[in-house]
Amino acid sequence: MSTVPDSLAQLLQSAAAMQESGRSVLKTMLGMGEIEVGTSEKHCVYSEDKIRLYRYAPLARSAGLKPLLICYAMVNRPYLLDLQPDRSFIRELLHAGLDVYLLDWGYPDGADRFSGFDEYVDGYLRRCVEFVLKEHAIDSLTLLGVCQGGTMSLCYAALAPEQIAQLITMVTPVDFKTPENLLSKWAQHIDVGLLTQSGNVSGDFLNLIYLSLMPFRLTQQKYVNLLQMQGDRVALENFMRMEKWIFDSPDQPATAFREFIQWFFQENRLIRDELTLAGKPLRLKNVTAPVLNIFASKDHLVPPSASIPLGAHIGSKDYEALEIDAGHIGLYVGGKTRKTVPAAVKVWLQKRN
Amino acid sequence: MSAPGASIGAHPFSAGFLKAWVDQAGAIQDLFVRLADQSSAGLPPSMPPPHLAPWKDFIDGLGWGSFDPAQMFPGAPALGLSREYQETARRLVELGQQFQQRYAEFAQQNAAVMQDAFHVMKKHLDAAPLARKSPADLYDAWIDCAEGAYHQAAHSESFAHLLAELCNISSAIKVERGKLTEQLARHLDLPSRGEIDSLHRQVRALTTAMRTAASGSASSPVKPPKPTRTPRPTRTPRQAPNPRAAQSPRAAPTPRKRAKK
Repeated sequence: MSTVPDSLAQLLQSAAAMQESGRSVLKTMLGMGEIEVGTSEKHCVYSEDKIRLYRYAPLARSAGLKPLLICYAMVNRPYLLDLQPDRSFIRELLHAGLDVYLLDWGYPDGADRFSGFDEYVDGYLRRCVEFVLKEHAIDSLTLLGVCQGGTMSLCYAALAPEQIAQLITMVTPVDFKTPENLLSKWAQHIDVGLLTQSGNVSGDFLNLIYLSLMPFRLTQQKYVNLLQMQGDRVALENFMRMEKWIFDSPDQPATAFREFIQWFFQENRLIRDELTLAGKPLRLKNVTAPVLNIFASKDHLVPPSASIPLGAHIGSKDYEALEIDAGHIGLYVGGKTRKTVPAAVKVWLQKRN
Repeated sequence: MSAPGASIGAHPFSAGFLKAWVDQAGAIQDLFVRLADQSSAGLPPSMPPPHLAPWKDFIDGLGWGSFDPAQMFPGAPALGLSREYQETARRLVELGQQFQQRYAEFAQQNAAVMQDAFHVMKKHLDAAPLARKSPADLYDAWIDCAEGAYHQAAHSESFAHLLAELCNISSAIKVERGKLTEQLARHLDLPSRGEIDSLHRQVRALTTAMRTAASGSASSPVKPPKPTRTPRPTRTPRQAPNPRAAQSPRAAPTPRKRAKK
């Protein structure tokens, strides 16, 4: 049986070992140099103001499916989907023979502060969809929306249902007022008009909010866990890539952000069928294309309860929900999910081709 | 030749006044630097605002008592030539006080969270003796306890209210600081935010008008000449109709990386 002094001696010994690990980890990190992200080959095929539409170079024989346009969120950078060659959701889609386009919202600045939410959905997104349709001489395409981009995709699918052959939503909030949604709870009392009165909302401010959702894990534990990566250069590089992505957050255009928070978070207009966009009433019942709704069971940003109600509100008779045992980010870069999710997407699309 | 201010140095207060004036110029320069750094927006402001600090030192030097406009003239109306500046300054002082008060409440709430976390941690330790735990296990257990206690507090209505109030006060401070900057910009004949906003609005209106005109003239449905299946390796990105394009020869500007703060 160990005595208290024995325990203390063990603790001190472990602490000394941890200090040594820390030194080693720091040394490895200092020697890493520049971190590369977004490594798949792509070409900008359309640009307008800050936005860019990219088309990825094929990596396999075409599966003969409709082109797939990814609409990413505005609050983060889209290279999360193509973080590195062995952790790339996009690369897996390309290997599956899909023709992939990506809408990158860029880094909005002061010139964009008066662009409303409808300008992004019924303006930029619409013109990107129409570009792809024109490029392929087709009437409809597959739209894949991620997180906030999923909400935007839903809106677009309701505004222009004839252009959407299939809709895939990933970790997409639909019901913004569920009890588990901490972000929504916090957003209810914020005077977002005042917040955006002096311009765009900084990415740093949003990061502060995200970190506040789980402050002990996200600002302390994850760095302490670095010690376990001692001697594992690959793991440390992966960590640094993710770290870069997390804090590479664009500022949010004031008007669009205000409208998004007010209309969606505070008033929950989308699910209540009270949203009007670009002067047109937006009804989820207008979404008639087949829908695949992918959500993550451990998502702390968009809890499953925010995504699950989608099926009950759209007009589509072909609706499938896919729950993945992962977190909001792990869905794309997690050990198993980074292969299984793209595979599931391909199978789902093939069945509806 | 005498040093600047030597002749007015005869008055007992003039040296202090001159120093305060010079320091204020420096403080205003510093204010511009701070305003440009958006990351400081969420931090508690230093009170009094930095541009008032030199005058605080000067008035302290006179021995008239402490310099706290809110306490010296509570509820006094803003009068005279500088009334607009007085209003802004007083509002900033009030907001600063509100922020400090709310921040203290926030800190108190966080302290309560930590206390709850310690209680839970103690229970864990009582259940499993210290000797059986490695430092890593202990640390992970502590994080679990802390997140658990925080989660409970963070979901409460009072926490959401407090957080929102802190955010709202910070936003109001930013708006007031903006007013000061606008006034300074006008004095220095620099373009103000209001002027730039006005130009942005005009450009937006023109862009929209041009787009509407373009879509009206090309009313035929979107149909391409011929389909393509595979991407071409190199291609010049197409640029949407844009009135600014006439002024700039660049067809597709390279996406610019935002400067890190």
